[in-house]
Amino acid sequence: MRTFRRRKIEERIFKVLMLASTVVVTASLLVIVGTIVVKSLPALRLSMLVQTPKGGYYLGKEGGILNAIAGSLYLASGATLLAVLLSLPVVLYLNLYTRKSSVLAMFTRFSLDVLWGIPSIVYGAFGFIVMMTLGLRASLLAGIITVGLLEIPIMARAMDEVIRLVPPALKDASDSLGATKLETALKVVVKQALPGILTAVLIAFGRGIGDAASVLFTAGFTDSLPGSLLQPAATLPLAIFFQLGTPFPEVQQRAYASAAVLTLIILVISLVSRVLIKRFTRHTIK
Amino acid sequence: MEPQPHLRIRNLSVSYGAQEVLKNVSLDVPDRKITVIIGPSGCGKTTLLKSLNRLLDSVDGVRIEGHIFIDDEDIYDPRVEATHIRKKMGLLSQKPQVLPMSVFDNIAYGPKIHGLRDRKRLRVLVERELKAAGLWDEVKDRLHEPASRLSVGQQQRLCLARGLAVEPEIILGDEPTSALDPQSSRIVEQRLIALKSEYTVIVVTHILRQARRIADHLAFLYLGELVEHGPAAEFFANPRDPRTRAYLTGEIS
Ligand SMILES: Nc1ncnc2c1ncn2[C@@H]1O[C@H](COP(=O)(O)OP(=O)(O)O)[C@@H](O)[C@H]1O
Ligand SMILES: [Mg+2]
Repeated sequence: MRTFRRRKIEERIFKVLMLASTVVVTASLLVIVGTIVVKSLPALRLSMLVQTPKGGYYLGKEGGILNAIAGSLYLASGATLLAVLLSLPVVLYLNLYTRKSSVLAMFTRFSLDVLWGIPSIVYGAFGFIVMMTLGLRASLLAGIITVGLLEIPIMARAMDEVIRLVPPALKDASDSLGATKLETALKVVVKQALPGILTAVLIAFGRGIGDAASVLFTAGFTDSLPGSLLQPAATLPLAIFFQLGTPFPEVQQRAYASAAVLTLIILVISLVSRVLIKRFTRHTIK
Repeated sequence: MEPQPHLRIRNLSVSYGAQEVLKNVSLDVPDRKITVIIGPSGCGKTTLLKSLNRLLDSVDGVRIEGHIFIDDEDIYDPRVEATHIRKKMGLLSQKPQVLPMSVFDNIAYGPKIHGLRDRKRLRVLVERELKAAGLWDEVKDRLHEPASRLSVGQQQRLCLARGLAVEPEIILGDEPTSALDPQSSRIVEQRLIALKSEYTVIVVTHILRQARRIADHLAFLYLGELVEHGPAAEFFANPRDPRTRAYLTGEIS
């Protein structure tokens, strides 16, 4: 009897602890978003979204952050595209063309894990060195490549996890119809794993658009809209950083407004892709 | 003298790592008959079936020795393409495994990868296969729904139709009814019996009653060894090996 009561108390205590953790996590999300929204309200107006910084913007004069919004969208889209083009082949190769015991596969997964853990400032510094060596200057392209590299381990590892879950029997079914490995990979495995693959792309995109350290030296910054791949491009994280660094409260408020815009972009992209995922993955076998 | 059968297994041994799962199996599979492979769970039935269409190729640490001939072509000859061998065999797995696409595309998938592009001919083919499978009336209004929404019994019939759509010569079934309800099982059994007029059929089962219902020829596998095989009537009436007798009477299972 005593042990039963003890087990029941244990159960209760742990349930409360778990609930408390859940509340803490959810509440921090709300507090973060709430703070940004409240702080940004005084500065948030349409002109911020549709104008580039005018002269004296960082002193509190007229203008907006369209340069950074456009720059971030270009940069993160380009980087994510680059990361998909490299991650998907790697992951399909690891899962369909190498054996579980393959040294190459083990080493690749290990490398991806290490790359995942490397701080983004190191990617930035690396991109900077490469640029210097090649005699290039900070540009949208250099930013795309650096952020692409930053996204690859995140995307590839997330894709790897979902593709590994595709049942071997499904591959056998396609193989036994006489499909080549490539046909099985692209038409069956990718299709079955599509929800997870899209989620991986989304996570990587979120990481890419929000990262400041990797673009600091590589993409540069400019007050005009991105003109070409070879010109510098502004990004939202850096715009936030610069505005927050001024001594003027009204410019600092604009930093929070920029943060709200960045958060909103990520939110909208998550929601839209969720709808798309639903639409495109109705054939996935649960 | 009887003509040589289509499918011949010669001295086939398969091991996973250090574990030898098939030991020197030799079997002539009679053409256009149902050959049933029976044996207790874990004796190597699935392995034997998978070795026939080279699905073992992708298994980690597998070692395959011996020969399997289809029309005098050794399927384990390094010059032979696995895809070419697999196209000759339709496989029904233990649990129906539909592809993550619509009912229509499940059937069209095989013919498409083998080069049939014409949409009209694909439609004709899909309808023909679904009718042959007795599925047409049940699914004709849901051709573009995900195949995974069909009932398990319908899925297994769809898998059979999908395999037949690539015009194989041999049909392999790995306990194809074990996940099905009794009625769906009966439909699949009847389909297999109907198909033997045109195809060589090999079915694995551990259900003796099923073997009695559908088998023309039997092979008994025990601990990786092909203990005994022969025409069904003889096999059940006069088993020669004591292990076969023990299995038939249920002493080993
Ligand atoms: N991929 C594999 N790797 C290692 N061992 C395996 C593998 N597949 C099957 N086996 C082993 O081989 C033996 C025979 O398996 P299987 O051919 O599936 O038998 P059955 O279909 O008659 O139940 C079993 O002992 C099983 O554990
Ligand atoms: Mg089995």
